[in-house]
Amino acid sequence: MIGALALTSLRRRPLRTFLTALGIAVAVGSTVIFLSLGEGLRRAFADGLGGLGPDLQVSFGPFDGTVFTAVPELPLRYQETLEAVADRYGITSVTPILLYVRGSLATATAFVFYGLPAELDPRRLYAEYRVLEGRGLDPERPDALEAVIGEQTARRAGMGVGSTLRLNPRASFEIVGIATAAGGLLDNAIVVPLTALQRAIGTTDRVSFLALELRQSDQAARIAGEISSAYPELGVQTRGDISSLFERGMQITDVVRLGISGIALIVGAIAVANTMLMSVFERTREFGVIRAVGARPRFLFGLVLVEAVLLSLVGAAAGVVFGYLGAWLVNLLAFDLLGLDIAAVTPRLVAFAVAVAACMGLTAGLLPAARAARIPIAVAVARE
Amino acid sequence: MPLVLRALDLRKVYVTPSGMVEAVVDVSHAFTPGSVTAVVGPSGSGKSTLLNLLAGFDTPTAGEVWLDGDAVHTLSERERSSLRLRRFGFVFQSFNLVAVLTAEQNVALPMGLAGVPTTLRRRRVAHLLARFGLERRGDHLPHRLSGGERQRVALARALANDPDVVFADEPTGALDTTTGALVMDALADVAADGRTVILVTHDRTLAERADERLTLRDGRVVAARSQHVADFALETDS
Repeated sequence: MIGALALTSLRRRPLRTFLTALGIAVAVGSTVIFLSLGEGLRRAFADGLGGLGPDLQVSFGPFDGTVFTAVPELPLRYQETLEAVADRYGITSVTPILLYVRGSLATATAFVFYGLPAELDPRRLYAEYRVLEGRGLDPERPDALEAVIGEQTARRAGMGVGSTLRLNPRASFEIVGIATAAGGLLDNAIVVPLTALQRAIGTTDRVSFLALELRQSDQAARIAGEISSAYPELGVQTRGDISSLFERGMQITDVVRLGISGIALIVGAIAVANTMLMSVFERTREFGVIRAVGARPRFLFGLVLVEAVLLSLVGAAAGVVFGYLGAWLVNLLAFDLLGLDIAAVTPRLVAFAVAVAACMGLTAGLLPAARAARIPIAVAVARE
Repeated sequence: MPLVLRALDLRKVYVTPSGMVEAVVDVSHAFTPGSVTAVVGPSGSGKSTLLNLLAGFDTPTAGEVWLDGDAVHTLSERERSSLRLRRFGFVFQSFNLVAVLTAEQNVALPMGLAGVPTTLRRRRVAHLLARFGLERRGDHLPHRLSGGERQRVALARALANDPDVVFADEPTGALDTTTGALVMDALADVAADGRTVILVTHDRTLAERADERLTLRDGRVVAARSQHVADFALETDS
């Protein structure tokens, strides 16, 4: 009865319903967009991490998330050191990786070079990696100045097979293939032979990190601890460590984004409360009549509350649609700038937005509902 | 056996910034079932206040209201709501239909509140609308109905839960003479069913058509045509 009456009331006052729902939709939509940025970054990271093969990553010094240091820091001799103790720790492979960033003021011409041993099949590190066009690196030519460019970088920079990519005055790489890593890091990187990259930047005895694969992946945390104890100068991270470091960073931005979203939601809640208060005021006589014919005060309380919640849910539904559109627009811009989809509207985000909107409606409807329940019948029915 | 509504030494005093106002003073009356009682008097004489007290919209400062064995004046808000829902019906001057509900939905409202099953509710709505000649107006919103039609919808709504007492506060105040007379006919019909009809009106012609008349001035009964009060007093004394 309450639900049907509330629905009828909202339907028969379309302009007010529309405008209030629009206010809520804007609040929920902006919340969805803000929060989708975090979800998108999480997803991009998860995609990259999911394709990352090594069970452990070894850097020089404690890992603080700055693996992209301008200068490689890890002496290559640690590869031999770790290979020598491979049996003790159950290490099955040690792969040196060199990252080098060629900066630019224009994002389209800023590149991340990813030096891998030419003989290594990248799929060992990135399960989703595959060459879309041209070919991969030539395992027979570890010092060849050739590159396989990530799909998104190629699109952003407008490059294709046969293009030449200048790293510095000493080295230019010819693009021999375009590859995808299904949203992973290599989509935005340029894979080149490790040896060639080392020579190009003049650092032949250092790399960015070593990727270790273990016989027993589930023992990664224990083995990382043991290696750290044996070589305190090294930083050893499991995938979980990298993930949790990223997650900590994301949580900080979550708080910031939630704070901004909270303001939008408070504005939305005030809009609902204001509309419902005005509605109760305008409908004093109607509510008086409903009470006169026998409704209890709690019936009116419930009616106003249900109307507020319904308004909020309708607004939330529209807000989610706005959020989708907003996130799509953000991704459109971000992809051109960063080559990444940084916004994602996930099911948990939609559920969160709808739950928040319902709570918002419930909270905003309480005061008007209490006021409606207290309307004196005699005064209300006599009101013009 | 029809139920009798009785007021005994009913008093309502309002405290205002300019002092105390006695809206109803020591009103005693028994309203006869099966008849229309007109409560008349000039503006501010306490007619509507008396109706509010009898209907349980308001509580008296002193005195009692009885619906047969039930002491209305002692009931809680919840019990008074229940009483209004099941045993009282209301018709107001300005129709007071719920604007967003169709004629059918307005008539069905009290039944919905009382939990009457949908099938029965529909049947009874159709019957009541037909009784008042509104069978073709069921799906109309109030603003699409004429004044007379609105008041007939209000009458149909008042009878929805088959009440014992129907209160009508200036039911013809917003209608022309002809339509007003038709509404009065309808109220007389309602009384003929054995219900108590209490009619508050300024309209002398309407009041003259009532079976009984209770005249108020300054909150007091100055003229009444009821022989039941004495009997009632005797009953309660014993």
